[in-house]
Amino acid sequence: MTGSTLIILAVFAAGFIGLAVWDIVRSKKKIQKYRLRSAATAYLMLLPAVLLAFLFILLPILYSLGYAFTDYYLLTPNDINFIGFDNFASVFKEIGEKGTLYHAIINTLIFVVGVVPLQIGMALGLALFTNRKVRGVKIFKVCFFAPVVISLSVTSFLWLQILSPSETGLLNSFLGLFGAEPHDWLRDPKTAMLCIIILSAWQGCGFQMLIFTSGLANIRNDLYEAAALDGANAWQKFRTVTWPGLRSTFVYIIITVFIGACRIMTQPMLMTGYQDHTVTLSYYMYTQGYSYRWVGYSSAVALIMTIVIGTITLIQRRAFREK
Amino acid sequence: MKKIFKTLSVLAVSAVMACGFAACGGGGGDGGEVDSSGNTIVKIMFHVDEKSTEGQAYKKRIDAFNTAYKDKKIKASASYQARTTGAAGYETELLNKQIEGTLPDIITFDAPNCASYANSKLLYDISSLVPEDVQDDFLSLNEYGGKLYGLPIQESSAGFYYNKKIFRAANIDVSSYTVENPWTFEQFKDVCARLKNHGTTAVDMRLDATKDETATYLLYPFIYAAGGSFTSADGFTATGYFNSSATQSGFQFLKDLVAEGYTSYSIGATDFYTGKVGMFLSSGWTIPEIENKYKDTFASRDDWGLLPYPQGTAKASATGSWCYGITNNNHADKTAAKELLLWLTSTESSDAITTATGMIAARKSVNKNYAAGSPEEVLLKQLQLTGKARPATVAYPTFSTCFNQIIYSLKDGNLTDILNTQTNTLQSEMNKLHK
Repeated sequence: MTGSTLIILAVFAAGFIGLAVWDIVRSKKKIQKYRLRSAATAYLMLLPAVLLAFLFILLPILYSLGYAFTDYYLLTPNDINFIGFDNFASVFKEIGEKGTLYHAIINTLIFVVGVVPLQIGMALGLALFTNRKVRGVKIFKVCFFAPVVISLSVTSFLWLQILSPSETGLLNSFLGLFGAEPHDWLRDPKTAMLCIIILSAWQGCGFQMLIFTSGLANIRNDLYEAAALDGANAWQKFRTVTWPGLRSTFVYIIITVFIGACRIMTQPMLMTGYQDHTVTLSYYMYTQGYSYRWVGYSSAVALIMTIVIGTITLIQRRAFREK
Repeated sequence: MKKIFKTLSVLAVSAVMACGFAACGGGGGDGGEVDSSGNTIVKIMFHVDEKSTEGQAYKKRIDAFNTAYKDKKIKASASYQARTTGAAGYETELLNKQIEGTLPDIITFDAPNCASYANSKLLYDISSLVPEDVQDDFLSLNEYGGKLYGLPIQESSAGFYYNKKIFRAANIDVSSYTVENPWTFEQFKDVCARLKNHGTTAVDMRLDATKDETATYLLYPFIYAAGGSFTSADGFTATGYFNSSATQSGFQFLKDLVAEGYTSYSIGATDFYTGKVGMFLSSGWTIPEIENKYKDTFASRDDWGLLPYPQGTAKASATGSWCYGITNNNHADKTAAKELLLWLTSTESSDAITTATGMIAARKSVNKNYAAGSPEEVLLKQLQLTGKARPATVAYPTFSTCFNQIIYSLKDGNLTDILNTQTNTLQSEMNKLHK
């Protein structure tokens, strides 16, 4: 393992140095002396970031790409064989037979479709609310942001208490006041994913609220004053001033929330365990890769997932591009 | 510039593809690490936190070993990695060390992992290292393919804790149900029915505990007791075993308990401890829990007791705890590792560790003098007379998931369909592993 990493590192280093040398050499002879000094400084300053990106982003991706074509089993790391597209064939077979992967894809889609608008809508609403110049609004801002800094494990356990199926569970005992029977929210396939969507939107929206707030701060006040002079009501001000002003912020948020939503794993893992009605793609990959130890197969799923997410992200960027 | 960048990228990716498939791993050594004083270092990794009661017990035994083996120039070096449910757990650390080629000489592992660790040669065959008389003194051994791979640290079993106050109030006498004279499935249901008529939730079967190994560990004996099984003897066939009619009847018994309202998935975690539930299926770890934390409900042992597993056409009860195993790392000479393994599994160590943890000793000769009829004696007798291990299969992680999914779906699903689906999943995994 170490040997191949060193070879990749050497290739990468050679590429980086070659690029720097070529960049300097191609410059005109009369400015070469000046260029050598400035370029060397620039490349040296670039080196730590490039090295970190290589080690923690590029290298794992490249390894994963390679493993996707192997039978890598975690317990036998010294016995890895190239198996061509067998892992990809298994992926499509599993989907075709409506196995757990099929459920994972459906659940992830449901989650994405549910959580992206809900979380962004909540974040925008909270940002508009906390953006008003009202006394004590900062306290609300802190309260809304608090779930973001709490670990997902902690919030999941907190929600497990709220959604406890026993009649003493917080939600069940509250609904019991109105005569409702206790309900097993997380075992019922009709409500489990909904609960996970609500928990995730509640947990994550505080962060997007802050980004929206900074976007709101960039909208010039005179635009609102002009709109007011034209007799615009609150909705018209929002539609014609606020929303266009938040467009680039919105594009950033929708892309990041979408990518984050596609990677959901902790909540179903802690709240329901590995069950068909809540398993997600990331949870499936983790289970296949770590619990069942099939790194090769898991890498193939990851590769397909990366391509799909990347494609959708590109489509999103194109769709929201400024005309 | 663009062209060169493209060329470099292609070169880098090609190099990765070429190197990624190359065999990798560390080289071999002989007797292991030797420190500056000439001591051969034996590394061991434990699955508990060093500061826990159990961790402290291990630490004392390691210190005692280092004192005793000072003249023989062998020194044990222990690391502790508390197991958790997430990626930071003990197993992850172990697998990472396997990938890095830095496995310690001795590891602890959960008994059901023996087959997969042995099959992938992570564990070393210790059949010839452990003397016959020592092997005979263990209540159970961790074997795979006829070879010995692990020695239990301590033993665990489970049973039905019951609230004697509730039983007395409901006029239920269970004093005649012992390990030697076990109750039947029908008698178990009869007790449940009487508790239900008394207005109490009859039993917490831990049907909610399907996120980890708990439900599998506690409930698999019902399937064996019903005459069922999970896999073939070699652990590579599930079809015809996991979905056999006898296995189905075992799961049906559990399903009936839910359908008849004797148990449910929504029993609170402390409901037994606070007197709301008549019986509670749990392991030996519950004994100190009851005695130390719930004195309001259970002031003395007159208020609670432990009943064995009910039996059907066969006899079975839960077994299997964590074990020690020597790894197949790059230290070819296992002499020092063997010394530490035998030290940690000696009667003295077995006694010291189980005194600290309150568990049943793995060695038969460690006599704890449990009182007749006491919960500890029930657990020990179960291990001796009815203990049956979980299936030894290299696909155990998948088996555990499948078992959990069956328990999770018992209430609403069609049992035949559920069993067939899970059997297919397990069989498919076994086929992949059966190279």
